[in-house]
Amino acid sequence: MTMLYRLTKVVVVFASLLVILNSSHAQDASLDIERLERATVFILQANNVGNELIVTCAGTGTIVSRDGLVLANAHDTVQSSTCPGETLIIALSVRLDEPPIAQYRAEIAQSDPGLDLALLRITRELDGRLIDSSALSLPFVELADSSTVSLDETVTVVGYPGIGNDPVSVVRGTVNGFVVEPRGSDAAWMKTSAVIPGMMSGGGAYNRLGQLIGIPTTTPLSTSSTCLPIQDTNRDRLVNSDDVCIPIGGVINSLRPSNFARPLLRGASLGLQVKDLVSNTILTPLESSSAPVFKRLFFSPAVNEAGMPASVIRTLPAGTNSLYLFFDYENFTPETIYELRVTTNGIPNPTFSLAPVRWSGGSRGQWYIGSSGQPWPNGIYEFTLFANGVAAPTARLVIGESDTSAPSFSDIVFGLLDLRGNPLGNGYVLPSGNTASARFIFRNMENGLDWTAIWYLNGTEFTRTNAVWNEGTDGSTTTSIESQTGLPPGSYRLELYVTNRLLATSDFTIAGAQQGALPEVFANLRFTTANTPEEALTAVSISNFSEQVPTLYALFDWQQIAPGTLWTIRWLVDGEQFYERTIPWSAPDSGKNYLSVLSSSGAVPDGTYTIEILLNNLLLASAQAQVGIGQLPIDRFAQASGVLMRGQIRDANTNLGIPGVTVILLNEEFSVSDFDWNNNKVFALATTDTNGNFQVDRPLRYSTKDQPVAYSAIIIANGYLPITADGIEVTTATANPLSTILYLSKD
Amino acid sequence: MSYTILDQAPPLNFRQRWNHYLLVIFALLGVLLGTNLKNSNLFSTSIYSNPEAGIRAEYPSNWLIDASGDYVFRLRNTTEIGYKTTFQVTVRPVSPQTTSRAILDSLTLNRAQILAAYKILGITSPFFLPDETEGTAMSYTYADSDNDPFLESVPVVVRGIDVLVIKRGQAIIITYLSDAQTFEQNYIFFNKFLASLEF
Repeated sequence: MTMLYRLTKVVVVFASLLVILNSSHAQDASLDIERLERATVFILQANNVGNELIVTCAGTGTIVSRDGLVLANAHDTVQSSTCPGETLIIALSVRLDEPPIAQYRAEIAQSDPGLDLALLRITRELDGRLIDSSALSLPFVELADSSTVSLDETVTVVGYPGIGNDPVSVVRGTVNGFVVEPRGSDAAWMKTSAVIPGMMSGGGAYNRLGQLIGIPTTTPLSTSSTCLPIQDTNRDRLVNSDDVCIPIGGVINSLRPSNFARPLLRGASLGLQVKDLVSNTILTPLESSSAPVFKRLFFSPAVNEAGMPASVIRTLPAGTNSLYLFFDYENFTPETIYELRVTTNGIPNPTFSLAPVRWSGGSRGQWYIGSSGQPWPNGIYEFTLFANGVAAPTARLVIGESDTSAPSFSDIVFGLLDLRGNPLGNGYVLPSGNTASARFIFRNMENGLDWTAIWYLNGTEFTRTNAVWNEGTDGSTTTSIESQTGLPPGSYRLELYVTNRLLATSDFTIAGAQQGALPEVFANLRFTTANTPEEALTAVSISNFSEQVPTLYALFDWQQIAPGTLWTIRWLVDGEQFYERTIPWSAPDSGKNYLSVLSSSGAVPDGTYTIEILLNNLLLASAQAQVGIGQLPIDRFAQASGVLMRGQIRDANTNLGIPGVTVILLNEEFSVSDFDWNNNKVFALATTDTNGNFQVDRPLRYSTKDQPVAYSAIIIANGYLPITADGIEVTTATANPLSTILYLSKD
Repeated sequence: MSYTILDQAPPLNFRQRWNHYLLVIFALLGVLLGTNLKNSNLFSTSIYSNPEAGIRAEYPSNWLIDASGDYVFRLRNTTEIGYKTTFQVTVRPVSPQTTSRAILDSLTLNRAQILAAYKILGITSPFFLPDETEGTAMSYTYADSDNDPFLESVPVVVRGIDVLVIKRGQAIIITYLSDAQTFEQNYIFFNKFLASLEF
């Protein structure tokens, strides 16, 4: 006990506080809307022109860590042709019923333009002063596991509906569909019934627990109808179409699942950066300046693990709940805006349409968009794709009148044939050699029908086989290509036709040397550390780094990969992915010492790091290394849920708020009598503002029967009798935020 | 009935007179005891000792001690209303060529990026600590405001002093920060702290 306590012997229990704590507010206590609203920010991207900041783009964002990481869209934050500003201003709703107020400046910490996601880091005060991020204690939200979201689940969307004039707004709806694309396994997009204004793009969509499940996203097209001029940027004393126009976008009905943001968040929170180098030269992906085009639209009822269509269909029976539109694309970039409009019997069908969004694939290849586990009503469907607002030919499909007796081919698998004629290998990546074979299933065939197999290499017809069917009605068979000079590495495609009608198609890759039936494409994958990339090339391989290292190098050798072959590189820490990049191969066919460099703002944090290399979604190489203790440090400030405690401290005589009073909340392990004025026993400190208001910057953990959590509080101000209390518990029944008024009496 | 009005009060008897004396004595004792208790509370100290850094100091009790930052330790008077008077001890490595001025310039350059209206008021060299150790003192001022964007806080003008001593191959920076209005008043605590500091 301190002298002060012995002197005063005054212990006033928080009577009023405890009354509030025990009061029951069982109204969906876990969805703390106010916390979500406080964590929602308005983002202005601006350009410095002379001494003036010209706003170039605007949108919503969400704070996802207490030290100021903001999750937002990339299209309105990352510099691009439509959003050329280099300064990012973060505005917060200081009062929730008022428009946001600019508070901070931010920088891009991580971004994925194709996924249209960016993580911003608050780095400066609005006046340009640097901020110590560890001193920030902002309200933030937790990311949910978006793969657990189910159909008809309620979503609450929070964002700013206007360009700075409106307070933060809440829109509610349900999840009414999932859109599947090659990137994102089960759901690349969640569809919602909520009608979300375009400016709320980049905000947050939350489940009933108040966890972030998705980011409402749409990308405005560069047309005058989807932008607003707000400043007299040309100084003609008029604000009109001659001034810089802020893109606003249309109504949003698509949510980018929050799982896509996890790698960015993990990378940004650890300050990790990955660079790919070959012989110390930074690789840049191939880009095209031609207009984006769609080709070869067709439908498939299923997709296999390599992202290939099971078969090609034009009709489907009633009760269908899985459908995919496949197409080829060329000349796409992450800034390309694509859109899918679906009509059923001529009527627009928003459930299966996709609002304009950024392109998350590569520059060229095959893509699909569809859904599974969701009923498709009978009708005539027309699918129209748009690239940068330009429509591609429409694809048509009938659901409800399938001809089950028509011939069909399906489930093509590639490999090298064994002695019994069965394909061996991993199915879609074959080693270099003289032959490649495909096995497929056939149904309802008739002997005597004309059928054709066309093989393509890198988009050009390689060989064609026209034959008369003599394999019977149902079963499986194989078809092959051979070359005496060897099949060159590259991207191959097989198309199977019956009477000039495409029934099945699939792609595969030939790469690497033959090792049995499997390809050896990447070899000697290893880790090391060095001061420079040049030193890393000759440094000894290490798998256990006992001390922290400034830079971690992963090196590998490769053989027989054709330029343009899509490949994927992934980095994970403690099993959690923080980097993934799928790009066309742009190094020579074969070589040694491909370098992937992992660096951090400080040292590479302790953890178990894994690198994975994939071709056609198939894992071909991986390696693991431990740094330090082999486990990430625990972030004790990572908890976002709980009860926000705030209130006002008033003078008991004057009833006026007392500014500058400190509220000390002790860690749950300590009571007031344990407190020896050591900061390591303090859970949180709060100081009252000009009006005597305070707010504890960390949420109080819920107390349960199994895990009781009781805090202690101390308020001591010179000239006043102190107030102390032990046993402050909050439960899910406690009002959230927990507001209280405390009175201090003069001593 | 008739009354006689006396010109003078009747003289106090022995007991009454001593009652008055004792009352005054007890009142004085009470004031003295109260003052003593107040002073002992006000000036009571705790001891900080860090054998690893070779630092020992006495500091006012009821000041919050924090050793978790990029300093050896920091003390804040959290019971103070308004800006919390702060003492901080930081240690930085130096080379034989490092000058006091270079260290102070480095502090200035860093602080100018993070503190609003940061301004050097003066540099005193030599500055003698109570134990006659020679150092350099830099006084400065800046505007401090609460980090919480959701509270309405008016910035406070803070005045500070860094006392820099280079010893045993390291620079020891003893910092005193206080509301500019109470700077002189609180300086007595800093002086006591400096006097007790052993490094």
